[in-house]
Amino acid sequence: MASDKGVYSVMRRELHRIWRNPRYLIIMTLGIVFTFVFFATMTREGQPKCLSVAVVDMDGSYLSRRICHEINATQGVSVAAVYNNHTEARKAMQRGDIFAFYEIPKGTYNDLLQFRSPHFVLYVNSAYMLAGTLSYKQLATMGMLATGAVQREVYRKKGYKDDDIMGLIQPVEYDTRTIGNPWINYGNYLMTTLIPAVIAFIVLMHTAYVIARERQERTMKSWLRRAGGNALYALIGKILPYNIWYCLLCLLANLIMFGFMGFPLEGSWLLMVLNSILLVFAAQCAGCFIAGCIPDPPLSMGISAIYSAMSFSLSGFSFPVESMPAFFYSFSWLYPIRHYFLNFSDIAIFGNGFGHCWPRFCAMLVFGVLLIVGAFMIQWQMRQEAKPSPQKIKTTAL
Amino acid sequence: MMSKLKDIWTVLSIEVRRVFGDRMVLLIFFLAPLLYPLIFCCIYHNENVEDMSIAIVDEACSEESKRIVHKLDATPELSVAYRCSNLGEARHLLENHEVRSIFYFPKDFSTRIAKMQTARIVVFSDMSSFYFYKAALTGGNAVLIDEMHTIELERYEKAGLTNEEAQIQMQPVVMENTTLFNPTGGYGSFFLPCLMMLVIHQTLFLGICILTGDARENRKSLHLIPPHLRRGSVHRVTIGRALCYLIIYVPICILDLWFIPRWFNLPQLGNLYTILIFLLPFVLAVIFFGMTVGNIMVRQKISPMLCFVFFSLVLFFLTGMVWPQESMPRFWYHFSYLFPSTPGVQGYVKLSSMGAPLSEVRHEYMALWIQAAIYFITATLVLSIQIFIRRRKNILTHNLRNVRQNGMGAITNNPLTTLRSNNNAKNNKL
Repeated sequence: MASDKGVYSVMRRELHRIWRNPRYLIIMTLGIVFTFVFFATMTREGQPKCLSVAVVDMDGSYLSRRICHEINATQGVSVAAVYNNHTEARKAMQRGDIFAFYEIPKGTYNDLLQFRSPHFVLYVNSAYMLAGTLSYKQLATMGMLATGAVQREVYRKKGYKDDDIMGLIQPVEYDTRTIGNPWINYGNYLMTTLIPAVIAFIVLMHTAYVIARERQERTMKSWLRRAGGNALYALIGKILPYNIWYCLLCLLANLIMFGFMGFPLEGSWLLMVLNSILLVFAAQCAGCFIAGCIPDPPLSMGISAIYSAMSFSLSGFSFPVESMPAFFYSFSWLYPIRHYFLNFSDIAIFGNGFGHCWPRFCAMLVFGVLLIVGAFMIQWQMRQEAKPSPQKIKTTAL
Repeated sequence: MMSKLKDIWTVLSIEVRRVFGDRMVLLIFFLAPLLYPLIFCCIYHNENVEDMSIAIVDEACSEESKRIVHKLDATPELSVAYRCSNLGEARHLLENHEVRSIFYFPKDFSTRIAKMQTARIVVFSDMSSFYFYKAALTGGNAVLIDEMHTIELERYEKAGLTNEEAQIQMQPVVMENTTLFNPTGGYGSFFLPCLMMLVIHQTLFLGICILTGDARENRKSLHLIPPHLRRGSVHRVTIGRALCYLIIYVPICILDLWFIPRWFNLPQLGNLYTILIFLLPFVLAVIFFGMTVGNIMVRQKISPMLCFVFFSLVLFFLTGMVWPQESMPRFWYHFSYLFPSTPGVQGYVKLSSMGAPLSEVRHEYMALWIQAAIYFITATLVLSIQIFIRRRKNILTHNLRNVRQNGMGAITNNPLTTLRSNNNAKNNKL
């Protein structure tokens, strides 16, 4: 039966184990599907719409009411309430009812008529990052336009043509080109990196789990026996079914995102496929390393969770890793998702070819070393266990 | 009354021994809530992107463009790293991640200004992180507004207006911006308060699930309940256990939600007393939620780690701190209220970062108490059902054994009589 020992045999054993108890594979798959559906439906609109803002109208004039109407007409925000004083508005903001408010002081209209520049104050709640930034952006734009409208009226009265007026009011303007996400769509931004990050997270935990389970069920020996005593074959055979399954899921997710949901993919499909496969592989290697080095199953799961819970931050897609302290910048290289993310931005955003991506592909392959170390540790532990303890020697000697 | 308290005390002491006897639970209850806030406070210590490298392509080479480039370099957000002769060169830098943004001044830039037309600066921004875009926008806008004023002022002066007249003409309405509750607009000040609450939520939840899984796996979940409490007084078990976790988590909460934000200078306007009052229903809701889910779903000690940790990400988005609650699809909004983290994070941020009094977070506070009450009932109910099922199983096995020993006549429905008859049989044998 020498031919029946090796990677293939371990793989058959693992498939049998999955068949006997498919609960966790199903749960994890459902977890990925749930996360995908969650983000897809949550960010369906691209950007949060109809953010509540307010106006503190202390002037009560024609002008202040017109400002309310203009805010309502601005895309993305709507006036939830008009308050009479600052305190009420502040309280509403503290309750989380509004994200920003304009304060129009008393006598604004008169000031305007008498050429004394009145002051408008825009208060923004930045404790809510996205809502605060977006409502600020919309209201500031509206404010600029309102100022422009007043200026335009003055120029019109002076007899300028409308074409010339624009040049007078706005001598310089930006023409912004957002590369890789022309609509500034949050769904595109979040999903393309968060979904692979969740998959990598689950792959790592699941790998650590299946190894920990062997230890808990005390089936390490039979597992290694199927691999002919070689822990590396045992590990490869064990992770291969999961590798194929999760690679398929990751590719499917990418296919839906870049294919059906229409997120831009500038570069080649093939590189994206390679990127996904290597991500799953590297995550599995990291899982094997942790579960291989730590013999206590609960502890190995705990360490895996602590390590991988930071992957979302250290992938650097939300807050750039370059702006973190130097230690964490270096530490982020220990995460497969970081390499995936850099490759993703090269392939999907800039359409770069293999020439740009190969160092990161290599880095993800280097995670294979962890697999070998994990296998070595398992082999070593098994040898330690197999060694007869001193007490046993004594009894046999007697 | 005294017997009730004694029962609760018994359960509590059993639970405390279990918590301190389990290495994994200790890791999750004590190390994780300490480690994570500290690590993340360090990670997000630099709140914003500073001195982001940009490339300049200046085909206009005019006085204005040079002035704008100098101003861009002077902003805290941007730093001019390269000056390229053409767009291709700059694009190459952008693709190699040497720069994150390109500011391109077309050839007709200065002629358009001279002709009093709108001149255009094209900004290319790397969208791999929205923070690059934000930095380019913030820095760029500040310069743009300033430059517009300079150009307009020059024109008005040429047209013979005095400085004051020109100012009024330029800015008929002065716009002032005030950023509240997170003055730097930093990522850390926004993210860390949410993270602290989520860490408390997830570690407490996971710890409880792991303890439940451990008991299930070793088939001792019934043994951990004193025998006289197994019928009718299961709620005392729930209360006793909850008290144990509550006592452990109060100091952790104070450390994570009060002292660590202080040490790292996060915005903190609330006071400890209000926050503690708010945290009581939060911690209770999480405990009972953990007990309910643990008793229904968890069968192994290590599986909660596998199944629940990745869910933290979804929980974070469900809190409504990123995607505002009012813009969420209705289904997700209602779904989010299944978890104590949603009102917990919302309420804590309002109390602590925004300095709201307790009366302004009434909605969240009530939601947490309702959650705590409902999950207390479900936790007790699930435990009672499990005890019932287990007892049924025991009766069946007893009966089976009795039938084998004594024939069909020995079937009984009451486990006590079964036990008694077994004891009698043993005594008779003796």
